[in-house]
Amino acid sequence: MDFVNKRIWFFLTSVLIITPGIIFLIIGQGLRPGIDFTGGSSMNIGFSQEVDPNEIRAKLSELGYVDAIVQKLGDDTFFLRTVQLDESDKNNLVQEMENSLSPEGLQLLSFDLVSPMVAKETLVAAFWAVIAAAVGIFFYLWWAFRSVPKPFRYGAAAIIALIHDTVIVIGIFAILGVLFEIEVNTMFLSALLTVIGYSVNDTIVIFDRLRENILLYPNRSLESIANLSISESLGRSLNTSLTILFTILALMLLGGPTIRVFLWVLLAGVVVGTYSSIGIATQTLIIWEKGDIGRLFRRIRPASESN
Amino acid sequence: MRRYLRSVVFILFLVTVSSLALGFQTINVGNLERGGDTILGLKLGLDLQGGSDLRYQAALKDPETGDPITPTPDQMESLRSTIERRVNASGLGKPIIQVLGSDRLLIQLPGVRDITRAKALIGETARLEWRHRTFDVDRPLPGVTQNEVLDVSVIDLVEFHDQSSPSESATTTDSSVMENTISTSTVETTSVPESPKPGLLINFTPSGAKSFGQAMDRLEESIQPDPGFYPNLIRISTNGTTTTNLLFSHVPILEVSGQRFPVSSESIVKKIENSDSYLIDLTSVLSGGAGTMEEAQEQFSETDELDFSEIFGKVDEDIGLTGEDLARAYPGQHQGTGLPIINVEFNTEGTEKFAEVTTRIAGTSDVLAILLDDEELIAPGVPEPITGGASYIQGQTLTLERVRDISLLLESGRLPVPIELIKERDVDAILGADSLAKSVVAGAVGLLLVLVFMIVYYRMAGIVAALALGVYATLVLAIFKIAPVTLELSGIAATILSIGMAVDANILIFERMKEEIRSGRTLLSAINIGFNRAWSAIRDSNVSTLITCAILFWFADTLGATIVQSFAVTLAIGVGVSMFSAITVSRTLLRLVATTPLNRHLQLFVPSGKSDLQKPTETE
Repeated sequence: MDFVNKRIWFFLTSVLIITPGIIFLIIGQGLRPGIDFTGGSSMNIGFSQEVDPNEIRAKLSELGYVDAIVQKLGDDTFFLRTVQLDESDKNNLVQEMENSLSPEGLQLLSFDLVSPMVAKETLVAAFWAVIAAAVGIFFYLWWAFRSVPKPFRYGAAAIIALIHDTVIVIGIFAILGVLFEIEVNTMFLSALLTVIGYSVNDTIVIFDRLRENILLYPNRSLESIANLSISESLGRSLNTSLTILFTILALMLLGGPTIRVFLWVLLAGVVVGTYSSIGIATQTLIIWEKGDIGRLFRRIRPASESN
Repeated sequence: MRRYLRSVVFILFLVTVSSLALGFQTINVGNLERGGDTILGLKLGLDLQGGSDLRYQAALKDPETGDPITPTPDQMESLRSTIERRVNASGLGKPIIQVLGSDRLLIQLPGVRDITRAKALIGETARLEWRHRTFDVDRPLPGVTQNEVLDVSVIDLVEFHDQSSPSESATTTDSSVMENTISTSTVETTSVPESPKPGLLINFTPSGAKSFGQAMDRLEESIQPDPGFYPNLIRISTNGTTTTNLLFSHVPILEVSGQRFPVSSESIVKKIENSDSYLIDLTSVLSGGAGTMEEAQEQFSETDELDFSEIFGKVDEDIGLTGEDLARAYPGQHQGTGLPIINVEFNTEGTEKFAEVTTRIAGTSDVLAILLDDEELIAPGVPEPITGGASYIQGQTLTLERVRDISLLLESGRLPVPIELIKERDVDAILGADSLAKSVVAGAVGLLLVLVFMIVYYRMAGIVAALALGVYATLVLAIFKIAPVTLELSGIAATILSIGMAVDANILIFERMKEEIRSGRTLLSAINIGFNRAWSAIRDSNVSTLITCAILFWFADTLGATIVQSFAVTLAIGVGVSMFSAITVSRTLLRLVATTPLNRHLQLFVPSGKSDLQKPTETE
């Protein structure tokens, strides 16, 4: 199968997927930062009877928490997010909820508090963690591919695929954030880093084949070697992705709601990561080798002169 | 077969040890104590067993500039041990407390239900200090010197009220209040309502009137739960000799000639609207509430100079002696009398400060007030200087119980650094148990799905992979238990993910084997070449995952984000063991299979639907 000649389609597909995410990031509210990144308090409350989320909202604004966010997690379980609450505010809020909405008692299932200082540190550390992961992986690949010509490009192509995957996953969450009010927290961040790990993992398996085949067939062109390598590792790529998807699906259907956001990121990340190894990482190597970008400019220049 | 004996024995040994480690709920070998009553004796995180994760920031401030100061490692360590002792003594369970970085504290309270009590106990601001307390401190009324008094005159209140316009509501209500008060306190005055009532009219400068008004407000504030630290008496004296005390405590009291009458403060001192003048009712003040004009004129002549001062019931002076200076406090018995006492011992620095202050105030009526969070624990007097650093507190009212309570509060109250809560996560035990049950089921189902897929797709090799995965799962769990790794929800997610990675290694190998078998090799050589060819991909992909894990771990460590840390650690262990399981366990098992008659049935090792096998040629 000729993957390399279809590279323009791969890139177009990616652009098509990335664009709506970027649009939502810019014109929508973009990612909805959770309290981990903004500071504040959040809690999961289990009521003993069915409650209308609007009643909770009304009660919260009556208590003075006008900007509070209410989300339904399960039948009687709700996620509430407010400004930072101290112990007495928290107890008061829970008591008021119980008195007015759930006289038979309610369960404060979990409570979280993050001060703005911690939130800011998290944001800064998150930024550096992503940068550090990318740099670390880049240098490792540069070193690992030192036996083939231009090893630098392998590291760079893997990072481009990694950025591609990250942007898509973030874009998807910008859309989900606008549609379903899904919030982004440290759990999301760990998931994103796992996706980065997986994306590189998958890219490396194909690059490993490239490395082997380049040394095996020194006279064949990079394009034919790339096609061969992709075909050879396709079965493995799909099977591995499948097994990971199995476990993610099992967790998603049977696990609790607490890690659901995490799993959605992984699900999106595994699919995108598998795709990008073939469609982005390898094709970037080809484009670089053939100087496609330079050719693109050469093609445009005469056209603009004729106008 | 004998060639692989060593590997087989090694694997069997590991599996046996791991199974034993998991099989026993608790392990107790030498110094190693692991396990508990949780599932498989694994150490569960807060989100799986319920509990609280609290993060505190040291809020040490320079007493003068108010700038934040970084506490010393010693201070943080003593903060840590203080809180640990406090929580341990409370019966709220065993806390995990560690210092994060230079000025943060992580407190984990597994299984705690009453988080409000726990937080109160940890004490966000609890601060123990000794203060030198002086009583009845007389201070000139700030802003009200003689220069501020323009003139003083004795007037007849009855006449004064008649002259002033009746529409002036304030004065009208005022006089009615006055009459009420007088009628309750003295019967005689009400029977002669028309007789003249003496009043003192003081005209201030505008600034003087303002300062005097503020002083009156402060006096009003003495009606607080603890009136001691507000002025409870304003003294107006003439020509340097005290003649009249206007004394207010939180039940305002008027004292004249040793007699005290509860009165309403408004009835005595009244500001005249739209002026800088104050009117003081001398009827109540003089002669036990029956003051006459003559008596008033005798005491206050126009030429008199008035001195104003305020008297504080008590004043606490900071002497820099705090909980940090305390070595220990414990209950005891007086050797002579046998009465309960509180033993208080100071460290070197504390001994010096304590000696200085006790020498200074010994024998006076001053006391040393011991305050916890600005609340008075006890305020003993000092009969003689104490220079040795060891002291005891005795008293008639000290019962055995009170002595024990105060000792405990002194001990536990000495938080060397004030702290504030910056992060909190509480998970209810019910939610935790629910998450755990769900994760276990999800993990089992996920693993099963993967095994079924592997066996259906890779057949014989799939069975080998399934066995290898079994070994993998046993080893990973045993490492979690022995290390021990605290399993949080995210850690379980990472473990299940690493199953995927473990399988990936097997898939890589089997795909390579398949190619080699198709190119006509024997099973054994296909296995060997397959493993060798797949190794570089397994190594590079796992190393990149380990790099991510290391960065995640660093990231989490910086933040003290245990969720992320747990994830990174479990994923790294999973990746490490998965490499071992793929390279050693799968290979050994496959080689074993290759020595059996099964090696003739190559289609068992190749995915279904592919029959393009060449006849094997023996090359070995």
